Amino acid sequence: MRNPFVHPDSKLPFESAPQAEVGDELQFHLEQRIRDYVREGMDPATARATALERFGDVSDVQRECTQLLTEDRRALARRDWLADLRQDLRFGLRSATHAKVFTLLAVVTLALGIGANAAVFGVVKSVLLDALPYREPDRLVRVFARFRDGSSENGALSAGAAKDVGDRQHSFSNFAVFQHDAMDGVFKGEGGAHIVRIAWVQPAFFATLGVEPALGRTFHEEDARSDTSLTAILTHAAWQGIFGGDPKVVGSTIRINGISRLVVGVLPRDFVEPMGDADVYLTMSLPALLSDPVSARGSHYLTLVGRLKPGVTAKSARQDVDAISNSLSREYPRDDGPFALTTTPLRDVMVGDTRTPLLVLMASASLVLLITCANLAGALLSRAISRRKEFAVRVALGAGSGRLARQLLTESTVLALAGGIAGILLALVGLSVLRKVALSALPSYAHLALDTGTLVYTMVLALCTGLAFGIIPALTVGRANMQSVLRDETRGTSESRRSRRLRGALVAGQIALCLSLLAGAGLLARSLWAMTSAPLGFNPEGVLAVDVQPPMGSSMPEAMSRYYALLEDRLRAVPGVTAIASASQLPSAYMNANGMVIEGATPPPMDQQSFITYVSVSDDYFRTLGIPLRSGRTFGPEDRPGAPSSIVISAAMERRYWPHGGALGTRIRLGPDANAPWKVIVGVVGDVRNDPARMEPQPITYASRRQEPSGTVTFVFRSQGNPLALAKPIQRAASEYDADLASHNVTTMRALLSNGIAGRRLPVVLMTSFGALALLLASVGVYAMFAAMGAAREREFGVRVALGSSRQRIAGLVLRQGATWMAFGLAGGIVGVLAVGSLLRNLLYGVTPLDPVTMAATALMLLACASIALLGPVRRATQVDPIDVLR
Amino acid sequence: MFNKDSGLLQGTLELLVLKTLSWGPMHGYGVAKWIESATGDVLRIEEGSLYPALYRMTRRGWIKGTWGVSDNNRRAKYYHLTAEGKRQFQEQTSGWQRFAAAVTQAIGTVTAPGWAS
Repeated sequence: MRNPFVHPDSKLPFESAPQAEVGDELQFHLEQRIRDYVREGMDPATARATALERFGDVSDVQRECTQLLTEDRRALARRDWLADLRQDLRFGLRSATHAKVFTLLAVVTLALGIGANAAVFGVVKSVLLDALPYREPDRLVRVFARFRDGSSENGALSAGAAKDVGDRQHSFSNFAVFQHDAMDGVFKGEGGAHIVRIAWVQPAFFATLGVEPALGRTFHEEDARSDTSLTAILTHAAWQGIFGGDPKVVGSTIRINGISRLVVGVLPRDFVEPMGDADVYLTMSLPALLSDPVSARGSHYLTLVGRLKPGVTAKSARQDVDAISNSLSREYPRDDGPFALTTTPLRDVMVGDTRTPLLVLMASASLVLLITCANLAGALLSRAISRRKEFAVRVALGAGSGRLARQLLTESTVLALAGGIAGILLALVGLSVLRKVALSALPSYAHLALDTGTLVYTMVLALCTGLAFGIIPALTVGRANMQSVLRDETRGTSESRRSRRLRGALVAGQIALCLSLLAGAGLLARSLWAMTSAPLGFNPEGVLAVDVQPPMGSSMPEAMSRYYALLEDRLRAVPGVTAIASASQLPSAYMNANGMVIEGATPPPMDQQSFITYVSVSDDYFRTLGIPLRSGRTFGPEDRPGAPSSIVISAAMERRYWPHGGALGTRIRLGPDANAPWKVIVGVVGDVRNDPARMEPQPITYASRRQEPSGTVTFVFRSQGNPLALAKPIQRAASEYDADLASHNVTTMRALLSNGIAGRRLPVVLMTSFGALALLLASVGVYAMFAAMGAAREREFGVRVALGSSRQRIAGLVLRQGATWMAFGLAGGIVGVLAVGSLLRNLLYGVTPLDPVTMAATALMLLACASIALLGPVRRATQVDPIDVLR
Repeated sequence: MFNKDSGLLQGTLELLVLKTLSWGPMHGYGVAKWIESATGDVLRIEEGSLYPALYRMTRRGWIKGTWGVSDNNRRAKYYHLTAEGKRQFQEQTSGWQRFAAAVTQAIGTVTAPGWAS
């Protein structure tokens, strides 16, 4: 049987629905059978009946066949789809390996953009988004005292104010008062004396936070009663570090500051302390603190954490506390007048100053990612244009434009995924670097790790980027007129105005974004430079600092003074020590402050009362740190206990209160006690910038350690060589002097200062790296634009050269075209710089947001890099050989 | 005499289809007619079971159907053997022959077994 029309491999141009196809086939069968019967002589009606009978149940057969065919079709479609995908992938990989430079560039660019984002998002998430390890952490607020003179936002409360807030509030379902800062204490174990950090809290503290112990129990109300045995709770770190993780420690007795306490519990590992690193939690009793009439309302060292009642918002709690604060100011104008009590959500307190730098980082990383995308879109556009002929041929051979678009999307998704994976690897590296650089600048609960959330975010980012920059070339493919493309082979051709504009806009955008980032990085770097280069007011070189904690509790001032004087003599004899001094606190961002009253001066209104930084120092403090004496004298043996108290003030203090001189000999009163004896100002010394992150020195009052001893003392030693070499001999000499004397925090003054500005350094380091990254990417973008422009107009340039145009004119032509877009970019960058300047305003020191030096340097750097990037392509454009091109 | 449920005869139908198509591409009706005439009308197939067999064989990749035009200018689906189909045809032919020879030999035996007395 002949069948000339069927070729074994031919396919129908369309595929009909399975049911119709089966019906058609069976219909044909029956028709043929009837025809044969009629030919044999049957009448048509009988032929039809016989044929149907012979066939059997037609509808049954049709149903069965339709089902078989449908399944078959589905399997086929799946196979086709997979085959297409395999083909696309194979093709994509092949074209990727062909265009090695392009692929490498694309993957590296993407990896940098995505890696930066994943790393920064890992930080941002762990600081700003992850839940704090408390029950319903968003319902927790803290109560602080804001000093009305502006010297402190999150100041501590007095015991009286804390009690009144607790008694009068209607907002908290439960709350606990605790000491604002952890304090040093001495733990005496088998291995000798350790310094431990002690946090004093009301028993309700853990219940309010909603923290369950890892071992034992948390505090009960009875733990604060004086007639029950004293208890203690260990943090997980202290349990591991001091007690080796021994579970039997719960129920045992330990000695802290010479007092025996029963360990009742161990806190979980992930517990985060609201008051910084503590080792031991002890209970305090508010009534006992209220017994001293002066310190009850006059000393500020407490704070309060509360859990909002259901239905109470943070805002209404704030109003509640505001009202209490106002009535307290009326009732106790002298003590509570200078303060306003406020509530702050716990998370805001813990995030603290890091929020702005983190948001800046997030914005920087996003800018880098935008530049990355623009860069890749540009690169893929160039590639699509250079492959136009390939696409046209494929369309001519029967590929649908949908099929081509799908191919391009597959290619760019493969690139994006490769970039995403490389980016995650980079992010891992980045986070391990960040852990070293940044941990001290971040809240204590931040643990920098790449978690699932970050991974998902990154992969989504990679895919979106891939799709986003895959779409542009895919659209161009869909629109291109294939015939004209194929015909273009014979004529001089330039790329379309449309795609040239798109590419130009992409480069302009990159330049604008890059300029903004670089300007931000420059401003921050200048601020940091201003911070670190401005004189501190003392000489930190060669100075070692050691904290010591004497074994006795609260001895008499005379005994303490003698104890320290003898210790100082012993330490002065250590070889290598050229000077030694001690102070209650070293210059740092957070220092104790006292209210001040000047004799004879009209006291300022209560809400403007001043709080002045207050330090108690030994005689040689100024000499050891190199703080110059301006007038009068510093402390000496004449400032003995019992003699009239002497005070030395800083120059900034003299400028503020005695602008016309006359400070020496004036008497002032410090502290909350209205009946405290007057103190005489005996000297003025140079200013010290105690917070290296602030440009303006604060007023400081110094008292003599002989007359105003302090519990914890920091010794400072000056040496000729490396100060750390003194650490061991000094500690040995100290323990020879008193075996129970605990010394810790041995560090150089330089390191202390460096820690003080760690929070400032982090955004500078990161933003500068992002800026460098952006500069690199933008340079690549500029290079790609000029290269593509030159390549697209090669033929035209050949013609121009053939017609007598000079090389210079050609170069001018290319430059003019590219420079226009760069100018647009710079103009857009000005807008970005303004935005960055206002965003960074709070982080800037010593520079204005539109610092001309920074702006000029940034623009010049960008232009220099762009110029280098465009040199090659422009050179190539001028060296077009007309004969080559026109042949 | 062909029945959908009869495994043995089902296989036989498939073998006959393969044989038919070994001559060249043919539509379903042609396959039915050829089997009838080639078996001397002994095997008059119940045509309803032929088509599901064709579709199943298509699915197994033994045969492939393509639409063409019949002698009388009517659109018809022509089946042809694939490479796998040709292999199956040879395999099943020799299998059938061994089977038929064995059965023939068995039923032609004249020596009675020991238990037959």
